Amino acid sequence: MKSERINNVLHPPEITEDLIHFYWNRKKYFARKGDSIAAGLLANNLNIIGRSFKYHRPRGVMSAGVEEAGALVTIGFGARTEPNIRASTTELIDGLHIYSQNAWPSVKHDFGSILNFLGRFFAAGFYYKMFMGVPPFEWGRGTRIWMFFERFIRKAAGLGKSSRLPDPDYYEHLHTHTDILVIGSGPSGLQAAISAAKTGKDVLIVEQDYIIGGSFLNQQDKKELEEQEKLLKKLGVTILTHTTAFGLYDNTTVGLIEIIPSEGRKDLDKKPRQRFNICRANNVILATGAIERVYAFINNDLPGIMSVNSARAYLNRYGILISKNIVICTNNDSAYETAIELKNAGAKVTILEIREQIGDILLRQISGTGINLLLGSGVAKAEKGFNNSTISRIKIVEMTDKGWRYAGTLFCDCLLISAGWSPVIHLASHQNFPINWNEENACFTSFGDAKSVFLVGSAAGIWQQKQCINSAKELFKYNSKQKYKPSLITGGWEKPIAPLYEIRLASIKGKAFVDPQNDVTTSDIRLAHQEGFISVEHMKRYTTLGMATDQGKMGNIIGIALMADALNCSISQVGVTRFRPPYTSISLGALAGRNRQSHFKLIRRTPFNKFSLNNNAVMINSGLWQRPWYYPVQSETLDSAYIREATITRKSVGICDISSLGKIMIQGPDTTEFVNRIYTNSFNSLPVGKARYGIMLRDDGFVFDDGTTWRLANHCYLMTTTTNNASSVMTKLEELLQVRWSNLNVQITSVTDQWGGCAIAGPNSRNLLSKIVDNPVEISNESLPFMGVKQISIQTVICNIARISFSGELAYEIYIPSDYAHSIMELIWSRAQEFDSCLYGLEALGTMRIEKGHVTSAEIDGRVTIEDIGLGRMASMNKDFVGGVLKNRKALTHSHRPQLVGIFPKHKNKSFKVGALLNEAGRLNGHPIGWVTSVTFSPALGHWIALGFIEGGLNLIKGKNIVLSDELRSTFLDVDIVSPHMFDPEGSRLYG
Amino acid sequence: MLQIKCPFCGKRDQTEFSYGGDGQITYPALNADEDSWHDAVFLRQNIYGRQIETWQHSHGCRSWLLVERDTVTHEIFSVELAHGDWQKQVEKNK
Ligand SMILES: [Zn+2]
Repeated sequence: MKSERINNVLHPPEITEDLIHFYWNRKKYFARKGDSIAAGLLANNLNIIGRSFKYHRPRGVMSAGVEEAGALVTIGFGARTEPNIRASTTELIDGLHIYSQNAWPSVKHDFGSILNFLGRFFAAGFYYKMFMGVPPFEWGRGTRIWMFFERFIRKAAGLGKSSRLPDPDYYEHLHTHTDILVIGSGPSGLQAAISAAKTGKDVLIVEQDYIIGGSFLNQQDKKELEEQEKLLKKLGVTILTHTTAFGLYDNTTVGLIEIIPSEGRKDLDKKPRQRFNICRANNVILATGAIERVYAFINNDLPGIMSVNSARAYLNRYGILISKNIVICTNNDSAYETAIELKNAGAKVTILEIREQIGDILLRQISGTGINLLLGSGVAKAEKGFNNSTISRIKIVEMTDKGWRYAGTLFCDCLLISAGWSPVIHLASHQNFPINWNEENACFTSFGDAKSVFLVGSAAGIWQQKQCINSAKELFKYNSKQKYKPSLITGGWEKPIAPLYEIRLASIKGKAFVDPQNDVTTSDIRLAHQEGFISVEHMKRYTTLGMATDQGKMGNIIGIALMADALNCSISQVGVTRFRPPYTSISLGALAGRNRQSHFKLIRRTPFNKFSLNNNAVMINSGLWQRPWYYPVQSETLDSAYIREATITRKSVGICDISSLGKIMIQGPDTTEFVNRIYTNSFNSLPVGKARYGIMLRDDGFVFDDGTTWRLANHCYLMTTTTNNASSVMTKLEELLQVRWSNLNVQITSVTDQWGGCAIAGPNSRNLLSKIVDNPVEISNESLPFMGVKQISIQTVICNIARISFSGELAYEIYIPSDYAHSIMELIWSRAQEFDSCLYGLEALGTMRIEKGHVTSAEIDGRVTIEDIGLGRMASMNKDFVGGVLKNRKALTHSHRPQLVGIFPKHKNKSFKVGALLNEAGRLNGHPIGWVTSVTFSPALGHWIALGFIEGGLNLIKGKNIVLSDELRSTFLDVDIVSPHMFDPEGSRLYG
Repeated sequence: MLQIKCPFCGKRDQTEFSYGGDGQITYPALNADEDSWHDAVFLRQNIYGRQIETWQHSHGCRSWLLVERDTVTHEIFSVELAHGDWQKQVEKNK
């Protein structure tokens, strides 16, 4: 095939400003500004662009649009490598590097093409069958043979390779709202946008191409396009080019991907590479056009074969005459205009017309043009030349009473096919709108939902430009009160199409492709049918027809037609596979947008964050929160740091950031009743100025959360929750108040972020506190007894303080208004220097609570009852509370249920880890009788300790020898099961 | 993506809301028998078509809502505040 630029009036001779250069496999070439990559390659007579997916067959440019299955290339290099780019739709930018794919050592001489001759091994279901062994002896059955072949298959199959380097660019998310979104800017789309804008609506029109115009661009006369474009701008319609509507979702939400042209990105680091635009429109108009089909014949994938309309695009849009010796094979009227234009541009043109008759108007148009017309003829096979891989001759057939008959050979170096048109109904299919087979026009059509999503133009199966434009105008003749009814006039050709999906002669052998992108052949479809895959959805998955990036743009209808033929039924009975978003492939980077790395999720910082970091804290993620984990002194490790922190706290005083605890303010006349229903224990009797530890259950009777709740005033409580459950408790309380108990007059507000929480624990905690508060008398043992709550002033800032303890020491929790938290913490820490003191983190906090047998989310994991954690006495018998009924279910009150216990190693120098199981000695196999939930080294006891659950708890396990087993780490230890209250069980230290 | 018209905040994206559950459950009194609690907590219809469900406008006004939605087409027919008095108030102010 030899293409050349034509220099006519529409395409003036190359002037230097229009000249751009690019590199094809590192060699420099020239092209014109505005060219697509495919146009640039064709203009330089680069006809073999890539190698196919499975068989490594040479492939060239097959189209000028998104359906491209042959010219897939890699562009850019290094971290900016983009594989599998459709050369037909990507703008050729000055200096662009383009590479061929799936070929070694070169695209002309590809080693992998040997696979073409081993084709029978790669037929449909190859991978599935591989697992079942190779007949006749089922040699290598199972995974071994797969593992042997895998590395070869992985190397050979596939397309381009993406870069392994981190993506240096960033991507943006955008939200757009509009009255009317028009998708596609061809004749119908432009008209729809103009008509919509004239009604005063806010209109957005998107176009996947890099310029607007659609099929206008493929025509010689561009006057109409220019006029429409002017009108569009005058009406203030927003136009987005480079933008693909890749998916239609519920509520007319449309996913758009905008590729930012690299031309305008001299400053690569400052502009996003792509924008993921979520568009919410009241109405969506699909003016997505139609894609010209080919049909199946032998070697229909040879370079030099393309659709008729693409030759027109290359001629009129890019000024490239694709070849001087062209054969067109068609079954419909649409090819004739192109044939005449190609002829006028200087090519020799022969038309093989499948139909035995064409209309008079068409006949008149081509008479005298010198076009050679053969009626009732078609192509059965294409053959390559002797010294190249592109088409050089075809075997033609003619129609007889008994079907097709071989009729000789014809030489040509370009074959153009038009086997009909498929409206682009993908987006309608995404929403499962009705799709019908239009017998007369041999295509699937959809009308959207005719409420908010409409199809116009050739997307609705209308073939003539004038009628397409009318269909767009018609849409806006209806006001909101009239129901829109599409005028069901599809088609528009002089003589109807003669449906054609395959020409097959028994005497001519070879591969005929249905889906060239996935290398699916006609025999794959027949094989699938033969093997029982008779549903079209199964056939699709078994053969990979129309899957992945292709989404059925090329071969879907041929595949369905062949299936219908094999099943001996009609195409409408076979039906169409449902298309899935994305319509064309989109990059993962665009979907992620800026939500990556540190922006992947929110970070919550406590008001003491800066203070902690200033004091050498190592932080840890706790949900979304960043919490101090430990405060190493010099090069201290985690282990030595937490042991030191817990030791100093128990000995003197430690300070800890507990701001991440959930804090909920509860107010209103019915507050006491509300709190009383939430918690298992009674809050009726809680006096003002006191706090109480409470447990709340879920409806199903399992433990939900725990925490202390402070009665600040008669109708005012401050509830604290665990860090983990802060938001789910809030949500639950709101649900109860709004959905179930709307008669209770209670208001709740989350105040977690409003207060910085700081625990001061240890025998010296009161002494330290008295140096901080404005009036030390207020915190004396009498004035602030155990579980006492009050407001105190620190440097005149009003804070809430409670004498409660998670560590088991004399301890206080102070809630400081967030704005003052940092400076008051600095005050506390500076006064603490007068004592043996430390800041302690989450690890030391955990150590001390394990020593005391206090539970956290490690124990309250949603599967434990209040009895299981040893707090059954906190379930009141005298009142009703959430979960109170279902907690008494038989299986939940069984005495053999696993219960909370403490665990000591028999040999005190041994350590072990969370996740270990507990078994009876001698019975290490089988179901364990318990497990370990929290482990720490206990500075107070001088050895490793743990909390865990064991069947029946302490009572039932008495006298049994228990082994802790951690198979994964090969740890097996004899352990003692003890009370979970491992340190200071009497709680004497609480009172200081 | 669904869009839910919150009576307070207007039409908002589904991502602002969290799904609650079956909106037609009448929860028994806290002291009701085990069977009625069992049914309320564990028994659910798997409706093909219109169902009433609860949603919370968690990233908005935090109202709990009763949403009537088609489980097949995702069409939303009505959105009301679950709190009866609030709903009455909203209707009165319309
Ligand atoms: Zn709201």
